[in-house]
Amino acid sequence: MSNEFQAHQIRDIIKINYKYTMGSQSKFFLELMNNKKILGTKCSKCGKIWMPPRINCSDCYVSAEWIEVKQTGIIEVSTIVWFTTSAFIKNIPYATGYIKLDGADTALLQGIFSENLVPSKIKKGKRVRAVFQKEREGKMTDFFFVPEDEYENWLNKPDYEGGD
Amino acid sequence: MKKVAIIGVGITPFRARYLDKTYFELAYDATKLALEDANKNGADITHKDLQSTMYGIYNELFERQFMPDIFINSYLGMNNKPGTRIASGGATGGYTVRMAYAEVASGLSDLCLCIGVEKCNDCYDEQTGTTTPEVLNSIAYSADMTYEYPMGMMAASSYVSMVNAHFEEFGNPTEEQMALVSVKNHGNAMNNPKAQSPMNITVEDVMNSRIICYPFKLLDCCLYSEASAALILATEQKVKELKVENPIWITGVGAANTDCFIGNREDMGRLYSNIYAAKVAYKMAGLEYDKIKSQIDLAELHDAFSGQEVISYEELGFVPFGGGGKWIESGGPLMDGELPCCPSGGLIGCGHAVGATGIMSTGEAALQLRRDAGKHQVKTIENGRAISHSIGGPGAAYAAIIVMENEEGMKK
Repeated sequence: MSNEFQAHQIRDIIKINYKYTMGSQSKFFLELMNNKKILGTKCSKCGKIWMPPRINCSDCYVSAEWIEVKQTGIIEVSTIVWFTTSAFIKNIPYATGYIKLDGADTALLQGIFSENLVPSKIKKGKRVRAVFQKEREGKMTDFFFVPEDEYENWLNKPDYEGGD
Repeated sequence: MKKVAIIGVGITPFRARYLDKTYFELAYDATKLALEDANKNGADITHKDLQSTMYGIYNELFERQFMPDIFINSYLGMNNKPGTRIASGGATGGYTVRMAYAEVASGLSDLCLCIGVEKCNDCYDEQTGTTTPEVLNSIAYSADMTYEYPMGMMAASSYVSMVNAHFEEFGNPTEEQMALVSVKNHGNAMNNPKAQSPMNITVEDVMNSRIICYPFKLLDCCLYSEASAALILATEQKVKELKVENPIWITGVGAANTDCFIGNREDMGRLYSNIYAAKVAYKMAGLEYDKIKSQIDLAELHDAFSGQEVISYEELGFVPFGGGGKWIESGGPLMDGELPCCPSGGLIGCGHAVGATGIMSTGEAALQLRRDAGKHQVKTIENGRAISHSIGGPGAAYAAIIVMENEEGMKK
């Protein structure tokens, strides 16, 4: 018998199925899916508008109420991804950014789509507007942002539609 | 609280892949090396003398095993003693050192094993026939699953957001300044036989490497690595009893978590966790945030991405905000500079074996203070003090800083 080391490798996978509840955040996803609305929450004490929403204000420890936020906003920071995880590699290159929606106090991570995906097109301060999938599932991928000057073009594409 | 010293350091080589070892076998190797180092340092101890273990292991999906600590506990012969697992993203190592410090400082244990291990590259992406996209995916599950993971968030895109926001605010770090960090850390690793990525490269090489996540390029990013690192911590009483020749005292520990949602942060271009952790650790050690650069001899920083190291110079108090880029241009953090940063090569040079990384960097800093670091020894150890720095998690929310001093440092 040879004493030379030989590695033994096995194929394996860890897979778990979920029926995950969004809990109190269900309203955000239902409004998104059914009515193309983007909801934040407003603290009943300090007035801070949370996006993503949380029904309790983490600063004041009091409840926060649902409010609709605007579907336009500005890019706070962005990047273009050229190499990524196995789950997203089919999408490269893609851009993501933190978007502060008009009226909100915190910024939401979202995909930024552009017909000309270059850093200058999606840099800090650029104005963007939400575009929705026609087929929505109540997930964050139901919408994305595009530069405001490309908004009408995106509405002409078959899979997408505008919000408010 | 009792005084706590590092009396033994064990670090396995950082490699892309160990086909001949499992995660618990790597942990055994590091523990054995740490015990041998403690023996060399005068302490006549075996694993049977260790009273407890702190395990730094970040990701169950890497190890293909939930609660991997209990299987290591068995393999290390540590049954019937307390063992606690810490998981704080990329800062797991630093946080584990902090908790091992607390275990010993509190008097719960006189001798504690602090060990980190990670073995990521068993993850395998069938579509590309490579490991990295699947490693990145197993990490991406640490992003918020409801709002952020579905957007294709990953480690580099999370860190790059802060670097881009910092650039917008301060005009720094530029791509060339980031590249200088890569050149430095790959270069430092040339003298570290345990490093995975020793490379003699130029700024041009970094600038020409392929884009990963704008503006990070391949050579701006650390590689994921497989390794284990272990420290043996002891009370002052044990140090005396065992006649340890060269104890390295942990004199400051600081940690803080900033908001994991980058969009919730007031300043997206700063990691307040770094600032708070540093201030707490320095104060505990009797050092000053504004003068820290002249009070320590070296820093092992968390350079998962080159741009992040530049920002850390500022957040840890080495230079004023906005001054990090100029400082690397002036050679300040080079081996022969004002304050050598990442003499080991850091994560960019050594690789990033997540749970092991912060323990490796703490161990490396301790070996430097013992003047025992080998070919990458920092020439001037005059303050007798060093720091290690760990960050990690979504948006690098976790941060931990450890301050260490040798016997000369303790007298100052």
